[in-house]
Order: sequence, then structure tokens, then C-alpha cells
Amino acid sequence: MERSSGPTKVSTRACLLAVALAAAGAAGVTPVFAADEVNQERLLNVDKEAGNWLHHHQNYAGHRFSTLKEINRDTVKNLKVAWTLHLGGIEPGGIWSHGGLEGTPIAENGFLYVTDGWGSVYKIDAHGGRGALVWKMDPKTDRDWAGAVACCGVDNRGVALWGDLVISHTLDGRLIATKKDSGQVAWQRSVADPDKGEVITGAPLIVKNMAITGVAGAEYGIRGWIAATDLSTQKEVWRTYTIPGKGEPGSETWKDNNNAMAAGGGSTWVTGTYDPATDTIIWGVGNPGPDWDNAYRPGDNLYTDSSLALDADTGKIKWHYQHTPNDPYDYDSVAENVLVDIPGPSGPRKLALEADRNGFAYAIDRTNGKFVWGLPFVKKVTWTKGLDPESGKPIEYDPNKSVQTYIASVTPSRTNMETDICPGNMGGKNWPPTAYNPDLKLWYIPVIESCNRIKVEVMTPDKLKPREFWTGGGPSQPFRITGSVTAIDVTTGKIAGKLETPFPNLGGMLATSDLVFTGQPSGEVMALDAKTLQKLWEFNTGGGVNAPPMTFSVDGKQYLAILVGLGGAWDKWFIDSTPELKKIQPGSMLYVFAL
Amino acid sequence: MMMSNKLPAAGMLLVSVVALNFSAYGQSAQVSDPTSAGKAVFGRANCMGCHKWHGNGGGGYGGDALSLRRTELTREQIIETVGCGRPGTGMPFFVRGAYDEVKCFDMNRQDAGPQMPPEGGTFLRPKDIEAVADYVIAHIKGAGEPTYAECVAFFSSSSRVCDVYKAESQKPDHATANTGKSQ
Ligand code: HEC
Repeated sequence: MERSSGPTKVSTRACLLAVALAAAGAAGVTPVFAADEVNQERLLNVDKEAGNWLHHHQNYAGHRFSTLKEINRDTVKNLKVAWTLHLGGIEPGGIWSHGGLEGTPIAENGFLYVTDGWGSVYKIDAHGGRGALVWKMDPKTDRDWAGAVACCGVDNRGVALWGDLVISHTLDGRLIATKKDSGQVAWQRSVADPDKGEVITGAPLIVKNMAITGVAGAEYGIRGWIAATDLSTQKEVWRTYTIPGKGEPGSETWKDNNNAMAAGGGSTWVTGTYDPATDTIIWGVGNPGPDWDNAYRPGDNLYTDSSLALDADTGKIKWHYQHTPNDPYDYDSVAENVLVDIPGPSGPRKLALEADRNGFAYAIDRTNGKFVWGLPFVKKVTWTKGLDPESGKPIEYDPNKSVQTYIASVTPSRTNMETDICPGNMGGKNWPPTAYNPDLKLWYIPVIESCNRIKVEVMTPDKLKPREFWTGGGPSQPFRITGSVTAIDVTTGKIAGKLETPFPNLGGMLATSDLVFTGQPSGEVMALDAKTLQKLWEFNTGGGVNAPPMTFSVDGKQYLAILVGLGGAWDKWFIDSTPELKKIQPGSMLYVFAL
Repeated sequence: MMMSNKLPAAGMLLVSVVALNFSAYGQSAQVSDPTSAGKAVFGRANCMGCHKWHGNGGGGYGGDALSLRRTELTREQIIETVGCGRPGTGMPFFVRGAYDEVKCFDMNRQDAGPQMPPEGGTFLRPKDIEAVADYVIAHIKGAGEPTYAECVAFFSSSSRVCDVYKAESQKPDHATANTGKSQ
């Protein structure tokens, strides 16, 4: 892996700011507080600083739950826009006509850190009831290079904090450390290679002085991986491939003679979670490639469509759980695994929850990777009759078959070259994150209620070319797609409520003690009652919500923040299923609400 | 349950519309460098969003945009296809008023019904459509696999987008480099 480091040019503005800060220091204001340095202790104990939002998924367990209570069931009706800030990053590049916003803001001590689709990082001072840009770090992403192999949009889901650095990714494969005070780039390193079809859209996960990076590109014939970079030495600590090498365990699940494994996909583009009790990173793995021609790659195709548990120090795989073996549907399991502890008859059950593109929600015992329960969370599933209650595998799964057909009449295959499936290939649940209320033990899933039509293309090895699509077909959208927020009672594994929405949920969830927040690609941000899902408040942003809400406090006041700017895969590939959304304009704006 | 929206083969359609009068597009405009104007249209109208910069298209999330390298269409047919799109497929129409004031394949919007092709992200003037057709004929139609030289000619930026073609011409076994070795 190539590495670019050393001094990087500093923008004039950043220089000026650095000077200003130094002057402030000289005037007796200490520029850097120890409390501003993020360390493992703070990352482990985010509940001690409820006003901040330090992790991409709020805590290591991925709960996206805030204990702040100023905005609650009774007061939420008074929620109003406090301030907004226009961002940039909607420029075209590659096959994309514009970028969008999918990020979760990070909040620390009254400052917000957000990204736009091309990976610019913005530090915003949120003190005093308004937002002021402190600095912007523009990584000058190579748009043509990266944008041509980004399957699903010009996306960047946000930053992480470590020490006095802001850690971020770029679509063209870099991990960048930016000085939190000045906006100056401290160092950067190439982690992914767009020449191989690899790009990065996820936010980094920070574990013990390492940045964990996932990769996208299963539509371009990559071999997926999860990589850890030491944030002091800037060196790679480990890189675990999600597709085994020849002869490694799991390689027997690729039974073809084409070496399909070499370009087998298994992307990892959604930030994972971490269980400090067992020092385990849990990360979701995406679809195998080619997506829809599963006869090209007979076998179960490990570790695609799986949840993987990795030893944090070595990256070694501790266990895996595969949801859709030999997937013919593009049913990624790239989603975050939410870690929850539920009282059980023989002590607490330690679960990992995942809501899959295939329409099923799963609880796995995270100590050993065993199936606990699973249920469909979408209204319509046509590809399987359901899950085996013991194994959690689709009932039709036959371990003796090398090419799975599930319910053959609807499953894309070489003998069923055009077919309609539910859920459609976007899910189910895509990357927009779930949220979990640990008091109510309710888990909220942002749902795409969908069917779509798949056309299969028979693949041959000569069609595999670097930086070209390797999908074995493609979807079209003859059906209207809607959405819902679906709540699951984690103690029973049953659906506790469903609020249907006119449009798919492309943004994700935030939970507070008695509310849940979410948005719609048609523009609305809304607050729902945590127990009944009844809508209590709504505001139309006039843009398309494609990012999750979060909450923080500053000057003793609680705020709700959300990025607004429709981009991603939807408005290019799936818009025909939601024709009204053609009216939504590209945009790039941060909305912040308060009472 | 599945309703077929299959169309008669594209070739048949084209035969049936040969009579379509596109002479409104007139004589080739006097552009000093017609193919570079066409290249600009190829980018601006986002032909490359579906057919890629090299015109080879390819399957994928957007469905199958046909290869313009392997197209057998004539200049006139390309002009028709760009102006009217192709009913029942993802190929959009780029002429303002297509299927309304401008008749396409002898159909209006109502006749086309569910076969109505999508509307392009931008409308093109007849002159631009001719220019892009000229560009396709001159630089894309009939060309083999995309090369480094073609790529740098297309992109005038310092992007690394073309590096992969350079690498390929240097090491012909590039495909195996893509397999990645386990660490
Ligand atoms: C939204 C995606 C999209 C865009 C944008 C697009 N095309 Fe297409 N194009 C397609 C698809 C899909 C087909 C294949 C239609 C079929 O299956 O017959 C196609 C077919 C064609 C064909 C017919 C090829 C043949 O051999 O039959 C031509 C010519 C063409 N496109 C040119 C263009 C040009 C020039 C532009 C830009 C002005 C453009 N296209 C923009 C998707 C697109």
C-alpha cells in the first residue's frame, strides 16, 4: 500500500485561524484543554458526557440513544429551527451528477464536526445559539477517479475524534487526520485503491488508538476487507479480508473453477461496533459479486452477507453468522450490529442485532455467533417462506446445493432471467442506522418497504475488468416503494409497532428516552412517540433527508441536528419507484433545532 | 403477476421510424471542432453517467446501457435515439417536447404509456444532438477496448482516473493483480 504522509499544504484560511488561536492563547485563553483530547477512556464512557456525541453510532454498542431530556414528549411540539448552515460538496464527478449528505455530525464541547459527500470536513462552533464555521478541510478528492467507481453515490458518513485529531475518510480511498484546532492536515494515508474499484464512504471507528476502515466496491469485483491503522505510527496494524484466500477456512464455500473468490465482493462500507468486554469488533459484510448471477459463484460464498466478529488487536475472525448464503439478490448484511444486553433466565443475554437488506431482523448471541431469533420487519417478503427457528437460515436453504434457489419462481437465476423480488435489492434496511432505547428495550428500524425487478446477466471471467461494473444484471423499478419505522421489542423478538411513511426511510434513526427522530427523503424531519410511534412533531426542510438525526447540548441547551441533501444511490438508480422525489433538488445544508 | 413491459426488438423499432423526419436538425452547424463540442455534450448531458466516459456502458445498478463502441447505428439513428430516447428502456430522450409537439416513433406520450422513456437530465438543442452523434461516430463507435490515450484525451484534468489503463498496457496480467493476496 502506498502511503502519502509528511507535511501537507495548509490553506490560507487555516493559517489565519491558527494565528488567531495562537493570539487567543497569548491573551490568556488556553487554546487546548485536556478535556478536548479524546482518549479510549472517554470513548468507553460516553454516558458520562451526555451533551456530546463522540461516536458515529453514539456509543460503541451502536445505540444512537441520547439521555438528554430537555426535548421530550411534552416539549417537542415547541421544537423550532435554531440555525442552519449551508455546506458545499454537491459537485459532480465520475458517473454522478451531484453529491449528497449522509453523515452523522459529531459533537464535542459545543463544536460540531460534519462532512460533505466529497469528504470535506467542517468544524462548526455551535455556542451562543448559532453556528459559525471555524474551519473547512477540503481533501481535494479526485472526483473523476473515485466518482466513476462509486456504485451508490458521492457519500461520506462522517468523522471520528482521537487525541487532538479529527479522523475522516475520502471517497478516493484516503484516511486523513486533521488537527482539531487549526483544520490543518496532520497526515494522510491511502487505505483503499480506486484503481481496483475500492472507495470509502463510511465513518471510521476508533478503537484503542486505531482507526478501523471499511471499503465499498462489491459491484466492481473487489475483494472486501476491514483494515486497522495505528493512529500514532500511521501504519497498518491488520487487514482482514472478508473473502478468504485460497486454502484458508471458508475458501471451500467458493466451489467454482473461475476463481470467483478473487473478485468475490464482501464490502464493509457501514461503520461497525465494538464490545470492550471481549475486545471484539463486530462488522457487517456486503453482497457477493457478481450480485445477481449466483451460478457464477457456487457455494455459500463466505463471508459475504455475514456479521463478522474480529479480535480488535489482531483482526482475527472469532465467529461469523451468514444471513443469505450464495445470495442471488444483492442482500448485503453490511448494516451495523447493535449490541444489547437483555435479562434472560440464566443471566443477561448478550445480543448483536442486525436488520438486513433481506427483510429480516436478527438477534445473534455475540459471545459465540449463534442465532437467537429472527423475524421479517418488512410488510412483504417473497424470496423465502421464513427462517428456520433453530439455525436462522432461510427455510429453503439446502447446504447440499451449491447454487441456492430459495423460492425459485421469484429468485433471479440463469433460468429465471427477469423476475420481481420483495424486498427489492435496496432492502429491507440499507445503511441508514437503527436506534435502540435501552430503557424500553425497543429497537427502531428505518425501513424501505420495497419490491423491484431484477434482470440477470450471465457472467464469464472475461467480463471482469478493473473499474467496471461486475453485477451480473441490474434492477429496475416498476413498483412504488414506500417506507416505515418499525419497532422491535428486543425482549420478545416481536414487532412492537410500525409507522408507515409515504417514502422509504433513507436517513435513519435517533432515540431519546421518550422519543424517536427520523426523516423522509421528501423533506420532513419528525419526532415520534417512543412507545406508540405516533407522530408528535414535524418540520419540512425543503430538501431530501438522506442522513440520520443526532442530538447534543451546548451552553446548557439541547439541540437536534441533521444534514439535509438528497444524494446516494436513490436519486440515480431508484427514483422511478418514488416519482415525486424527482422534484427534490440537490442541496447541502445542516439544520439545527432547539426549543 | 408480472406484467411484461417488453418491447419489440430495438432494431424493429428503428426500422419503423426511418420515415421520421429529423431534417429539422438541419445541416451540420459550422463548428470549428465538431467532435470536441460533442465531447462536451457527452459530459454535460451525462451520457457518461450511464455509458461511461468510454461509451462501453455495461450492466450495473442502472440497468444495461448499451455499448456505443459496439453500436451498429448510423449517425441518423443515433440522432433519433438521443432525441427520442428508446421506449421501454432506460435510454432517456433529450429533445424538448419529445412525445408532445415532437413526435417520436410515431407516438405521443399517451401512445407510449408505460413504455415512455425517461426524460434526460438536460434538454439538448438539435445542434448539440448532432454534435454528440458526430462525437460518438468519430471517437466511440467501432473502437475496441478503451485505452490510456483515449482516456487522457477525454479527461483534461489531472485525475488519476486514467491510471488504470496505463497500468494495464504496462502489465498485461493486471487482472490477477486485482485478486489481492491475503496478507
Ligand atoms: C440514464 C441512463 C442513460 C443516459 C443518461 C444515456 N443513455 Fe444512452 N442508453 C441507455 C440505455 C439503458 C440504452 C440501451 C437501450 C436498449 O436496451 O435498447 C441506451 C442506448 C443508447 C444508444 C443506442 C445504442 C444501440 O446500439 O442501440 C445510443 C446511441 C445512446 N444510448 C446514446 C446516448 C447518448 C449520446 C447519451 C447522452 C446524450 C445517452 N445515451 C445518455 C442509457 C442512457
